[in-house]
Amino acid sequence: MSVAILVFPGTNSEEETVRACRAVGLEADAVHWNADLDEVRRYDAYVLPGGFAYEDRVRAGAIAAHDRLMTVVREGAAEGKPVLGICNGAQILLESGLVPAIGGEIRAQAGFAKNAPLGKFRSTHVHVKLAIPRGRCAITAHLPANAVIPAWASHGEGRLAAHDVVLAAIASGGHLAFVYCDANGGVTADDTPNGSALGAAGLVNERGNVLAIMPHPERDAWTFMHHDVSRARAFGDAGGMLAPSGGIALFEGLAAALGVSVR
Amino acid sequence: MSVVRCLEVSLTIPDNEAETALATLRRLGLELGELHRADIYRVELDEPAAKKTLAGLRKLETIYNPNKHRLNVRSETEPHEGEVWIDEPGPEATGDGSLSIAGKVLEGLRRIERFTAWRLLDAQGNPASPQTVTRASDLLLCNSAFQRAQLSR
Repeated sequence: MSVAILVFPGTNSEEETVRACRAVGLEADAVHWNADLDEVRRYDAYVLPGGFAYEDRVRAGAIAAHDRLMTVVREGAAEGKPVLGICNGAQILLESGLVPAIGGEIRAQAGFAKNAPLGKFRSTHVHVKLAIPRGRCAITAHLPANAVIPAWASHGEGRLAAHDVVLAAIASGGHLAFVYCDANGGVTADDTPNGSALGAAGLVNERGNVLAIMPHPERDAWTFMHHDVSRARAFGDAGGMLAPSGGIALFEGLAAALGVSVR
Repeated sequence: MSVVRCLEVSLTIPDNEAETALATLRRLGLELGELHRADIYRVELDEPAAKKTLAGLRKLETIYNPNKHRLNVRSETEPHEGEVWIDEPGPEATGDGSLSIAGKVLEGLRRIERFTAWRLLDAQGNPASPQTVTRASDLLLCNSAFQRAQLSR
């Protein structure tokens, strides 16, 4: 099963995203914005990695949402292919209307606005907790209920913002895939680094095959990257230190959604 | 007594962001000749100190760098024909006689609002029609989920 890691001008996380996909047994290629669209259509899933596509001109994700590559992503999403957007990729998915797609409607119903309260870029280690039932989203279907995943929040525009009626529909309609939490899964406002509505870290579309997540799981996907005792325990053990763990769980989910057995 | 003025800050060097937005809007089917972008600061000033406060604003290089910007003071406080102003609702910056902007306190500044102004021109160089401006706003320039668009009346 092959995954296209879509690269727009200004994308900067494609290498680590390719590496994370390959670590879980997927064939993964970085596919650039000028690629032949018929070639792009052959992939089984699409990942939109982080960065600053088109320099975030107009708004984060706004220009890329109209890029020609997104035609193929829209087609793929409609066919049921898994689509994962991380950070800037998540912003693109919301701007394109592929997420949350309440009622199946593909238009921008929500967005990631400037972080609150200061409106500044923030880079910090976070944890996110699965907030939907198993099976609601193809990419998280393998995770246990309330699974906690470590990741890096690294963005200036990560605050979920929408009209109240849309936020209510996100909460009640099973679109709130991940919320920010502490290392033990406890949820308080202090754990949300950007003032995001509903404490949202990730959203899923109506159909359950398109997932947008703001923090980067691929930046905490190997033991040497962790900020807990697991890293200290692995000192002196090169294999253990370089073992995929933590944030790799989301990529294992992508593999599982494509029928690839990971472990 | 107070007066309201609009400071329009635009680039004198090529505006790549406007060029990208123009290319995207054309690809989306809008027939546009030009697209210009500016930052608009709509300020309410104490009338006696208005000149001095405006002079103080001109000296804030975080909003106006004379090496690459031009600054116009507009007495009209609403978008012109062919323009749309975009802002994100949030706590309004108001003060009782003074406000800090870009880390500097300015006496006589009572209220400040910031917008991104987009000016759309058709192929003949005339202001784009209200329908075209609305469509550009809906398609790209404004995400109405968390932004507001203000058009000329």
